[in-house]
Amino acid sequence: MTLKVYADRMSQPSRAVIIFCKMNGIDYEEIKVHISKGQHLTSEFEEINPMKRLPAITDGRFKLFESHAILIYLACAFPGVADHWYPADVSTRSRIHSVLDWHHSNLRRGAAPYVFNTTIAPVLGRPLNPQAAAEAEPILSSSLSKLESFWLKENGRFLLGGNQPSIADLSLVCEIMQLEVLDEKDRARILGPHKKVQQWIENTRNATSPHFDEVHKVLMKAKEKLQNQRLKAAKNEGGSDMKKALPSRM
Amino acid sequence: MKLKVYADRMSQPSRAVIIFCKVNVIDYEEIKVLISKGQHLTSEFAEINPMKRLPAIVDGRFKLFESHAILIYLACAFPGVADHWYPADVAKRSRIHSVLDWHHSNLRRGADTYVSNATIAPVVGRPLNPQAAAEAETLLSSSLSKLESFWLKDAGRFLLGGNQPSIADLSLVCEIMELEVLDEKDRARFLGPHKKVQRWIENTRSATNPHFDEVHEVCRH
Repeated sequence: MTLKVYADRMSQPSRAVIIFCKMNGIDYEEIKVHISKGQHLTSEFEEINPMKRLPAITDGRFKLFESHAILIYLACAFPGVADHWYPADVSTRSRIHSVLDWHHSNLRRGAAPYVFNTTIAPVLGRPLNPQAAAEAEPILSSSLSKLESFWLKENGRFLLGGNQPSIADLSLVCEIMQLEVLDEKDRARILGPHKKVQQWIENTRNATSPHFDEVHKVLMKAKEKLQNQRLKAAKNEGGSDMKKALPSRM
Repeated sequence: MKLKVYADRMSQPSRAVIIFCKVNVIDYEEIKVLISKGQHLTSEFAEINPMKRLPAIVDGRFKLFESHAILIYLACAFPGVADHWYPADVAKRSRIHSVLDWHHSNLRRGADTYVSNATIAPVVGRPLNPQAAAEAETLLSSSLSKLESFWLKDAGRFLLGGNQPSIADLSLVCEIMELEVLDEKDRARFLGPHKKVQRWIENTRSATNPHFDEVHEVCRH
């Protein structure tokens, strides 16, 4: 029975798992569960993952959720996955665990609520929350600084001085890609100072081409839609200013 | 060169690592870094862990932080650690990763934030924050419910239906032990409804005593 991957490509950890499967030639079936349509809240999906979160996998009768656990499982259970994704060496592997753990309470904790509360919430029928965004931004910024100054401090194209990507690179870069949907000036402010981070994102993208771009298409479409909405809103504001001005000239 | 464990026994993940070392007779030196005295903020400690968090270890020239990464490293790198702590079986191991990952954003986030804002903050010179405590309380309650109804649903004495403890039991139980510092009625309100959780805490304590009680003495003062 084939591996089933329950995913929403708008979800950062879902993308990491899909890209990993494609890169490693793992035979799988992608089952789209749309968060924006509440499909993760159905009782059918609850059978798959009682936490109602994405991604989740079933491999025969084995069910698993939490993307880092899934990535490790896939690296270990499927033949032909190159060692650099999840090295056998105990110390190298521990350092990967270390950054994956750090991610939960740092980059993920900053990036996800920041993007959600400034931009994505309405897509999921919820209001924007500037206060929550303001609380998340310092966590996001300091996490990017830590990536720049510590996790990418060694001479390597990837995290922890690696010259080949690991599951950690995939997980964290997919998280940062969510920033694509932000207002361009916010994105530039937040990401702009960090040259190593930007280089590393490019390295990861190249190393997982063409799958990286293909899997990120959904996000890029959302980005385009949001940009158009912003342009429209800016134009309308300009229009109503003119209307206000005309009467006073007359 | 002996393994060095930088820890503060008031820190839940520090306790998990220390208990693990004692139960598995790992030869180590405990270096106390007191958070209440800001010792984790010194430039000396930043050399050990630039994130300025506890616990951290140094094994020869190898430095490591994040307690789950440390527990896994110790289970793999030191001889004589029984398989049940971190089973070699890929599926079992994955489920341990799953609960350890879930822990970060659920039990840990709820418990730590609630206890900090309801009680501990003044000890480390910060004001109490009732709004943060209220949000954390919801997360803590729902995490304890998920432990009761899902992680402990199989017929076993430990998480995921195990009959022997794993590193996940140690990590999560040490987190819940932090609730010992709360007012008795707050603690009863959180834990009271969850009989399986209470039994599991006792099972974990029995399986790792006398070290569990010895390491938790600081919580009782």
